[in-house]
Amino acid sequence: MAKTQSTPVEKAARLLDLVPFISTHQGIALSELAEEFNLSVSELLSDLNTLWMCGLPGYTPLELIDLEFESGYVSIRNAEVLQRVRLLTKQELVIILLGLDILRSSLDPKREDLQAAISGLTRRIKEIVGNVATASPIVDSTHRAIITQAIASRMDLTVKYHSTIRDAVAERVITPLELSLDLGFEVLNAYCQSAEGFRTFRLENMRSVELAGSSVNVSEPSDPSDYQWQLLIKSRFRTSSERFRSTYKPRESSAGEQVTVNSFSQDWLLRNAVSTLASVEVQLPVSARSLIAEKCQQTLELYENWVFPN
Amino acid sequence: MHTVSRKTERLVNLTIALLATKRYITKSEIFRTVDGYEGSDESKERMFERDKDDLRNLGIEIEVGTFDPLFEDETGYRIKPENYQFQLGEVNAQEITLLSLAAEAWRGASMGQSALSALNKLHAIGIESDSELLLDLAPAIINQDENLAIAISAITSKTLLSFSYLNEELQPQSRALEPFAVTSRYGHWYIFGNDLDRKANRLFRLDRVSGDLKLQGKSSAFEIPSDLDVNSAFATASGASHAIIFLRDGRGLNLRSRGSQSAATSAPAGWQEFKMEFRDHERFIEEILWYGNDVIVSEPADLRIEILNRLRVGVVTYG
Repeated sequence: MAKTQSTPVEKAARLLDLVPFISTHQGIALSELAEEFNLSVSELLSDLNTLWMCGLPGYTPLELIDLEFESGYVSIRNAEVLQRVRLLTKQELVIILLGLDILRSSLDPKREDLQAAISGLTRRIKEIVGNVATASPIVDSTHRAIITQAIASRMDLTVKYHSTIRDAVAERVITPLELSLDLGFEVLNAYCQSAEGFRTFRLENMRSVELAGSSVNVSEPSDPSDYQWQLLIKSRFRTSSERFRSTYKPRESSAGEQVTVNSFSQDWLLRNAVSTLASVEVQLPVSARSLIAEKCQQTLELYENWVFPN
Repeated sequence: MHTVSRKTERLVNLTIALLATKRYITKSEIFRTVDGYEGSDESKERMFERDKDDLRNLGIEIEVGTFDPLFEDETGYRIKPENYQFQLGEVNAQEITLLSLAAEAWRGASMGQSALSALNKLHAIGIESDSELLLDLAPAIINQDENLAIAISAITSKTLLSFSYLNEELQPQSRALEPFAVTSRYGHWYIFGNDLDRKANRLFRLDRVSGDLKLQGKSSAFEIPSDLDVNSAFATASGASHAIIFLRDGRGLNLRSRGSQSAATSAPAGWQEFKMEFRDHERFIEEILWYGNDVIVSEPADLRIEILNRLRVGVVTYG
């Protein structure tokens, strides 16, 4: 289970943590203990065999830690010195601090007791590590919990979704398939009953999520990238690449950068093209160029016919 | 494999010996009584120095002192139990649950190993979590960027960082930073600190770092300001400007949620007037253009003229 072989120091750290854990969970099954520490049973046995050789100077049976695990259940004696739970490292405190921030933002505001408990813990941790980490989550954790539950129990969801491409909020019934990451953003891959097609929904754009009925089986999605445009990025290389969600790397020359971008939504490509008029030229397809010209013309006419003060 | 166990055993035995003692114990006592110190005096010395460093990196502080302050005795060592043990004091079931949930959020992310070890310790306290609380929350920090782990480690050890950062032209620029804090905003992770070349505090988006962050030199190389406020770093990046825009009925949802609607208005039917605040001129123009003919900028005039110019260029380029 553990991906890489531990170093001697990592293993020592784990042994120091195994002692208090076993002390408060006397008689725990080997398999359960292995799972808690994310080890295979044979890795755990190797740990316990090493621990068995440790103790107070003298190292007679009187001083050595006494472990019993042959029965498949683990118990420990003569380990009073190490029984204290080890302190959290600063690194661990920082990640807990960030985790508490995320947690706070998704709590029911009516649970004032929990808000107060989180504030108390945050204050205690900041006294130790300082104010070195904050997180402002963009995804509501309760939405994620409902989605996870729906996928596990094969339920459909009713979501109020803000489509930034359509610039509108609409209610849809979807069959959730899996949560994944898209350029660092959490997305739900789902079959949209309303659109009758596979769609990707960004979690942060969900306004509400509710369980609907049981879901029908849907097959795996086909490649959703229907539109392919060819661009020449002439300036603002980083921002333009980020807008078109094109991966970038350091540039050697100062010349323009030719990239091909894909999307299931032609409207999204069009909006980005108008947005980046000053820095990007769409070269192909020709039909895309006419669409952009048309959008520019419409917008220009709107401005020209508008009555501005002074 | 054997040497791995020997080293592990020695570290655990050393910890036990130093933790059990109420007085300082000397190096020669350690070499004589703690199992695993073998070889020449010089190699024992080297082993001991390395072991002390390894324990310190695990957060275990070894105290150095002498037996009798009146005499120049040989230096002794011990670990004070209060410096070794869980330092958040008494925690109840609700607090354990919250701390565990906070660590759980990192499962499978770049800090997964630290999260696991924190959870092992929290569970070792032996207080049952409040399971009702766990039901309707699933906090998650989905980050696979190893640079976040390096950044946190640099902050907690106060070690200088060097890295290559891609500017707007995608040209890599070398940066040297005293890292003070990490923060997540708008779905991205940022590192904040004192940029040694620019001699000012700066924010960097981690996904714009090219390659790995690199730790440079010794730990405890600088102090983190005690009045640190990362949030202010976002606010003071540049002063805010104001604009008046018109939005078509039901359109420009993100702009609507950020701006404030004007009460008295010259807006024609089917449109609403909004006051907006923006910081980055170019980004704001690009955002307005994104909405095409659903958004009109009225003021400031130079912004409106810039948008008009771009649209005219668009008509010429693509027409």
